[in-house]
Amino acid sequence: MSIKVTGTIIYQNLGVGTWALVTPEQETYELKDPPTPLRQSGLKATLEGIIRDDIMTVAMIGPVLEIKSFRID
Amino acid sequence: MRRLLILVLFLVGLGFALANFPGLAQQGEFDSIIINFREDLPKTEIRDKIQFLSTKYDQEINLNSVFSIEDNIYILRGDKQLIKTLRKSPLKQLTEYIEPNYIYNILEVPNDPDYSKQWNLRSINVEQAWDETKGEGVIVAVIDTGVSRVPDLQQTEFVPGYDFVNNRTQVNDDVGHGTHVAGTIAQSTNNNYGVAGIAYQAKIMPIKVLGTGGGTVADIAEGIRFAADNGAQVINMSLGGGGESQLMAEAINYAYDKGVVIVAAAGNANQNAAAYPARYPKVIGVSALDAAGNRAEYSNFGAGVDIAAPGGGKEDKILQNTIDPTTGKSVFVGYQGTSMAAPHVAGVAAMLKSIGVEDPGEILNILKQSARKVDSDPLNEYGAGQLDAGAAVKLALRGKLSFRDFFRWVRDNGYLNPRFWIDGGAVALLPKIAMMLGSYLLAWLLRYYFPFGWSWSLSNGLIFGSSGLFLLKGFYIFDLPQWPFRVMGSSLAELGNAIGGTPELNPLFASVLIPFLLIGLLSGIPSGKRFAIGCTLGMTVALAVTAFSSPHLWLLGSGAIAQGFLIVNALLCFGLAYLASQGEPKTL
Repeated sequence: MSIKVTGTIIYQNLGVGTWALVTPEQETYELKDPPTPLRQSGLKATLEGIIRDDIMTVAMIGPVLEIKSFRID
Repeated sequence: MRRLLILVLFLVGLGFALANFPGLAQQGEFDSIIINFREDLPKTEIRDKIQFLSTKYDQEINLNSVFSIEDNIYILRGDKQLIKTLRKSPLKQLTEYIEPNYIYNILEVPNDPDYSKQWNLRSINVEQAWDETKGEGVIVAVIDTGVSRVPDLQQTEFVPGYDFVNNRTQVNDDVGHGTHVAGTIAQSTNNNYGVAGIAYQAKIMPIKVLGTGGGTVADIAEGIRFAADNGAQVINMSLGGGGESQLMAEAINYAYDKGVVIVAAAGNANQNAAAYPARYPKVIGVSALDAAGNRAEYSNFGAGVDIAAPGGGKEDKILQNTIDPTTGKSVFVGYQGTSMAAPHVAGVAAMLKSIGVEDPGEILNILKQSARKVDSDPLNEYGAGQLDAGAAVKLALRGKLSFRDFFRWVRDNGYLNPRFWIDGGAVALLPKIAMMLGSYLLAWLLRYYFPFGWSWSLSNGLIFGSSGLFLLKGFYIFDLPQWPFRVMGSSLAELGNAIGGTPELNPLFASVLIPFLLIGLLSGIPSGKRFAIGCTLGMTVALAVTAFSSPHLWLLGSGAIAQGFLIVNALLCFGLAYLASQGEPKTL
């Protein structure tokens, strides 16, 4: 299912570390292979993509978002 | 029926122990021999002898240390055979003694230089567990990002795994996660390098199902089946996410039914309920603790959490050897996460497997029962509590006869004394050893089958009832009457004849009468009652052993009547102890 979320990019230092997006409601999405422009802590962005329910990760911080398109706010 | 079963078990155990007991003095390990030359010998003569021995046995023979010059203590490589030969040779005349240079072992503290930074290993009480097992031979599958053979995994045994991401048998780690996790389970330990792992004599089966962007449920499910089909006994999955999957659930059931213990991380979202796969009922879900023993701020909690283990926090991470994914080079790095907590549990599960606990359900029970309980845990942040490797291993060994357990029992109960095995020769040693062994077996049965706590007063009673401090019987001091020693060194059954020093037992003492009176008199005081029960059980053993070794009774003779009398009284004692023990509070 395709979703659109807005929030702040953070680097979660858990395990080997991972990029995430935290919404104002404190929901955390793990970003699957984020493109380089998004790899910047504190960045506000709107991401559109799909939640990969069939994937497990080592970060385990929340739903895995595979980004289809993004906009840096 | 139960009583009969216990009795049969006891007799079989006693017979077995008697047939196999090799003698404690034979247990020490040595690979060199101490020769202590007499101090009145001229140094030149000693030098000549050393020269002669050097040539004869083709080795350099040295003083033990510079401090040995005065005492003439020399060390020679050799075994039991050589000691025998030397003791029979003319060399014996020139020495004070020739004896094995026993190797002493202390509680395991590994020599890995950064072990001191591994607060997490001490917090699970791993040293106590190492005293019993290091997970010898158990195969632990690490279903993760692969495992690279970094320097501090060189001495760790590996078995072939599989890379489901790249479909090949080479299973290297390109993320640095799986290698770290494998390190917690079985980092090469006592190798004078790096850090330690928990079950470091277990074997790692690397299974790669994740790349940098995670991995699919299909690959993970296949990884689980692969592990189960290839002999893995424990599976660690420091991964999670996604939703419920029929494919995954089936793979987990398949492995579980094959006896595999499956451990998974609870997840790092700081949310109520563990992530999949920790959520599945047949998977042990592990939440993470920080160095203070509190739930780590990131750890999931609630449903699906079975137990808590160290996962580290911002300041106190879990240190292992892994690879730096950007360079591929070996690094020692601290990570935090429930990913780090799960392998602690997997390592301890491997230890339990190695001491013979097979069933994954039983392993979970042992882990839960032995965990340190957290008093107030309304949100189920800790499951059964904090992982305790030492307590888990101890609990698993309860109910198993092992030499270590026996040895500890002997030591704790004062049977072990340097003079014991020398002076013991002055009294009939074999029946005494049989009595001691018998009361150990009884004590063991008690811990396992009888419904009350194991206590100091009970074991003292056992010793008094079965054999007494018989070492004392060998004491003869000038101008002092020997009978007080004889009395102190006597068991309850022998008291009646100890003063007179006659070999025949007094049937009044060697019967159920005294235990009966003791239990009657002491039943009001809890510790007194346990002492009385101990005496009664010890008497059971003493009478049973005497019935078969030397049934000499005053007035009743040495024949079948005496033997029958002793057997009947042994049985009565056992029954009495059993009845008296009912209603005692049960403790684990």
